[in-house]
Amino acid sequence: MTATTTRPSTAARTPILQAVDVTKVYGGTQALKGVSLDIAPGRVMVLFGENGAGKSTLMKILSAVESPTTGHIELDGETVQFGSARDAADRGISIIHQELSLCPNLSIQDNLFLGREQTRRGLVSRTVQREQAKAVLRRLDETLDPDSLVSELRLGQQQLVEIARALLQNARILIMDEPTSALSAPEVEVLFQVIRELTAEGVAVIYISHHLEEALDIADDVAVLRDGSMVATAVADDIDLAWVVRTMVGREQDSLFPAREPTLGTVALETIDLSVADPANPDRLAVDGISLQIRAGETVGIYGLMGSGRTELLECLAGRLPAASGEVHLYGEPLTGSVRQRIQAGVALVPEDRQRDGLVQTMSVGENLSLAALTNFVRRFIVSRAGERSAVESMITNVTVKASGANAPIGSLSGGNQQKVVIGKALMTDPRVLLLDEPSRGVDVAAKADVFEVMAQQAERGLAVLFTTSEAEEALHIPDRLLVLVRGRLVADLPPNEITRDRLMSLADGADTTEEGLQ
Amino acid sequence: MPFSRRHLLTTATATVTAGLLLTLSACGSSDDSGKAQGTKASSSSKKSNLIAIITPSPDNPFFKAEGDAAKAKAESMGYKTSVASHDDDPNKQSELIDAAISRHAAAIILDNAGADASIGPVQKATNAGIPVFLIDREINKTGVAKAQIVSNNSQGAQIAAQEFVKAMKEKGNYVELTGLASDTNAGVRSKGFNDVISQYPGLKKVAQQAANWDQQQAFDKMETILQRNPNVQGVIAGNDTMALGALAALKSAKKTGVVVVGFDGSPDAIAKIKAGTMQATALQPAALGAQEAVEQADQFIKTGKTGQPEKQSIDCELVTKANANDFGVFAKK
Amino acid sequence: MTNTLTTDNASVLQQRRQAAAEARRLKTLNSVFELRAFIALAVLIAVFSLLSDSFLTVDNVITMTKHVAINGVLALGMLLVILKGGIDLSVGSTVGLSGVVAGEALKGLHVSIFGVVAYPPVWAVVVLCLMVGAVIGTINGILITRLNVAPFIATLGMLYVARGAALLISGGTTYPNLGGDPSTHNTGFGWIGADRPLGLPVAIWMMIALAIIVAVLLRSTAFGRWLYATGGNERATELTGVPVKRVKMIVYVISGACAALSGVIIASELTSAAPQAGDSFELNAIAAVVIGGAALSGGRGNVRGTLVGAFVIGFLADGLVILGVSTFWQTFIKGAVIIIAVILDQSQQRFQRRGAAASAVAVATAQPDTELAETRPDHATTSPGASR
Repeated sequence: MTATTTRPSTAARTPILQAVDVTKVYGGTQALKGVSLDIAPGRVMVLFGENGAGKSTLMKILSAVESPTTGHIELDGETVQFGSARDAADRGISIIHQELSLCPNLSIQDNLFLGREQTRRGLVSRTVQREQAKAVLRRLDETLDPDSLVSELRLGQQQLVEIARALLQNARILIMDEPTSALSAPEVEVLFQVIRELTAEGVAVIYISHHLEEALDIADDVAVLRDGSMVATAVADDIDLAWVVRTMVGREQDSLFPAREPTLGTVALETIDLSVADPANPDRLAVDGISLQIRAGETVGIYGLMGSGRTELLECLAGRLPAASGEVHLYGEPLTGSVRQRIQAGVALVPEDRQRDGLVQTMSVGENLSLAALTNFVRRFIVSRAGERSAVESMITNVTVKASGANAPIGSLSGGNQQKVVIGKALMTDPRVLLLDEPSRGVDVAAKADVFEVMAQQAERGLAVLFTTSEAEEALHIPDRLLVLVRGRLVADLPPNEITRDRLMSLADGADTTEEGLQ
Repeated sequence: MPFSRRHLLTTATATVTAGLLLTLSACGSSDDSGKAQGTKASSSSKKSNLIAIITPSPDNPFFKAEGDAAKAKAESMGYKTSVASHDDDPNKQSELIDAAISRHAAAIILDNAGADASIGPVQKATNAGIPVFLIDREINKTGVAKAQIVSNNSQGAQIAAQEFVKAMKEKGNYVELTGLASDTNAGVRSKGFNDVISQYPGLKKVAQQAANWDQQQAFDKMETILQRNPNVQGVIAGNDTMALGALAALKSAKKTGVVVVGFDGSPDAIAKIKAGTMQATALQPAALGAQEAVEQADQFIKTGKTGQPEKQSIDCELVTKANANDFGVFAKK
Repeated sequence: MTNTLTTDNASVLQQRRQAAAEARRLKTLNSVFELRAFIALAVLIAVFSLLSDSFLTVDNVITMTKHVAINGVLALGMLLVILKGGIDLSVGSTVGLSGVVAGEALKGLHVSIFGVVAYPPVWAVVVLCLMVGAVIGTINGILITRLNVAPFIATLGMLYVARGAALLISGGTTYPNLGGDPSTHNTGFGWIGADRPLGLPVAIWMMIALAIIVAVLLRSTAFGRWLYATGGNERATELTGVPVKRVKMIVYVISGACAALSGVIIASELTSAAPQAGDSFELNAIAAVVIGGAALSGGRGNVRGTLVGAFVIGFLADGLVILGVSTFWQTFIKGAVIIIAVILDQSQQRFQRRGAAASAVAVATAQPDTELAETRPDHATTSPGASR
């Protein structure tokens, strides 16, 4: 094995939790191949790896959601076998899952204490629960009412509730699987502060994130998984981002961002003073008077945090949300109507939440790809199988979907490949403007590169490409032109090489109120 | 804005509902006037001259005939009437009796919704001083209702079975279709059939199936039975609806000359008897029983006595091709 | 692959063989489960044939199939609704209403303005009935797509409304003698119920034709694909630009028309129409669709399964009648069969997932790359599925 095993500081302390030679087989897939990992108390262990490398499986085994096929788990030096996740939780191991596991129909309080209700004389004591809930939320710098419904919360707030639930369990070992995917920068900062407080108390934290830089900020130790094997472990101070990327994929990060020279055409999409009401709170404008132009052949990136209005802007352009005021023009013609009419006019959206809004899980890869453009293959009411098949297969090649074939169930694909299918589905409608909402969210490094490559290719073909991102690295490297959105307003419009990373971050946080490159 | 719209919707719903109710009550005008008078009367003497008639669902022409006859009779004697149906739902029956009590009805004519489930509501009316006269179906308690006038199911089944035996010439294979097993009459009729038929060793029952009083079930089951036993010469059914279902199945299987006997004396069955495709049915004189009940109610209101024992039975009449023209809707012309 | 890893090569080969064997085993099991409804039907037929020699005769099979057709036609309509992730509880009442409309139309329609009685020909009566069913479906569709009433509630309401309409039109009485009258040129209604073109009753031909139409609709038209997608993920499908509301509307209209057709078949078989006809038929139709492997959550199910489901229910009922089993047991056994069918369906879903995983490994290990060379031999021998 190629492991560079350097672990001076973990060796200094007795590990609290150890995975020893753990193998996990699902049906016939080997998700883990003899992985060993030591977790030291009071330190943050960050686990790196591409999608499908086995990170989530390892976390599930450590938290007893799954049991290992071979190998074992040692807690405080003794071999343990947990009967259930509840067992593990009682022994001080809590996990924050990648997928939110909250009941949206219940209040924050009910969710926090679900299964461990605080009772007085056999009855649930709401006063006690409310006080404890308030305390733990305050610790996360949140002033949410513990009695408000989870369904009324933003995604980021829901994630904080999930974190609060783990904190309430007074865990000795806290496992966090992508805890920040929906959090804004200030929220992430608060979370990191809490993590620091926890480690100071001796809690061991295991942390997984696709935000490599962010994860490296909080790491004490790092471990890198590749294809189910542990390929390297190291102390965070000894390594840098380039090392992480190299170890994960075996190449430098620069290759992620291909350089290109755009050839700009006429104005493809133009908005004039466009405003969109916040669907969750109709009194507020999510998009507030935005005017922008995108030319054919141009890739435009929108950088903005959660709640900046980027999703609402794209959904309005795609016809899913109505405009409160303002106009949208597509090649000079007014763009109106339903999602369907706009797709026919040539505007296609790749939505942010691909599970919920992008894919039909009960259908195959091919059926998902052709769904939007199915009528193109209809001859006298009947769908031409041959026509559909060849179009689907060429699209699979075009967007480089890695699947066993067009008939593979969509659920068998990794997150990155599912994202490519959603993009492919949009491209099948032969759009003139391609809108992508956070196309790199929950996608592994290699697939990210493929997604950006596809975007660049489409721009070269003359499409206008508009995408959003919450990662500064992407915002600075991918688009030909960068827009920065803060609370529904456009604060910057400039080529990305004219702005520094720090300046971009402070603009997006709303800390810097000067505007850049706007007339 | 969304609130005001919702409010508007609620108001609209309420208005429409109220409108509908008004229209419906206007339709039921016959009892509306009675209601008004009844209320007026109650303020002075606590007794109205309203006779409440409660029957099962009027879907069935039998119950409709029964209700119509009682209504006509009562009105000819100067009473106000209200006719309602309980759809064989004991709960609804109880509500209808409550309504009659609160309107201080002079008497209740009831075709009840269950031999046991109806004892309580009848007792309730009696306690409120309202005499109850049961028709068509009995309850499992005596001394509560003033009269229980039922057609003699056992006798009816026997005369139907005797005609069946005669038409079969005392030999051959036959099928019996029975009614809903939870209904007492289904058992009484089946027993009546068998008491007679079992005396003739030449008659062999090749199948017995419950078709739950339903025409289509009788059709399907008869078709299936014919597959196993193509050699069937007779069908005897617990009611006419099932007999008609069996007839349709026989027709579809192109079997002619099969003796079919039913029970009830429904107009559809009598039409088939006239046409010669059905042999006979035992007619329950629904109208007669209802009229009898109204007369006894009148007697009781005037004298405090019915002059009859509580349990009375009215014999069924055999309808064959020979006398079919003498019968109307559940009554002899 | 480097040539120094001979022991690993052997283990890789072994692993591949095991995974492939596991995949084959699961695939066999899966196809057994896939055919579970067929197997259930075969078992039913075998058992009944053993117990009664009049069960498996051409004549009886035709009779039973004719009985199946009524529920089969309903179930095909219901299948579309369930594929969408909806439910249609109003079909039983629509059966009754359709029969009543046929009865009223054959009796003669009073055209009050002209003071004449019109006697529409039989084909017009059938079309009229189908239109009434389609109208009930349209109302369901409008309630569900425009007014956002939950399908269960909307169609539950229409269950009562349609039944009430049937009782109102008929005045509660049965329409006898739907044979028509030669003097009014509307005879022949009984033909649908009684005639046997090419030896099969018209009802069976109707079911066959409808099954073919629905199968083509589902397999080969854009509408069919849109329907599966809507059932699988309505939100994503709508965002894809599929006219989801129109799809939903159409399935309820088709379901209503199927129910009306069923009502016409019943009325013509009996040559009489009762307003109570079709009571609780919706439950039989749902049972057939579910036994046929469709998911009530939508997106999964097919014509073949639904038809087999209808046959299982119908053959079971008629077989028990032939054996002379009491009605109480018939009801009990029907319930048990529905539950067992759904349990088997759940197990099949599980096997399907495991089978897919195992064959994925067999494929992956068939093209070993350098990553696989790192696999350690002591773990490579782990038997797949041993952990479960």
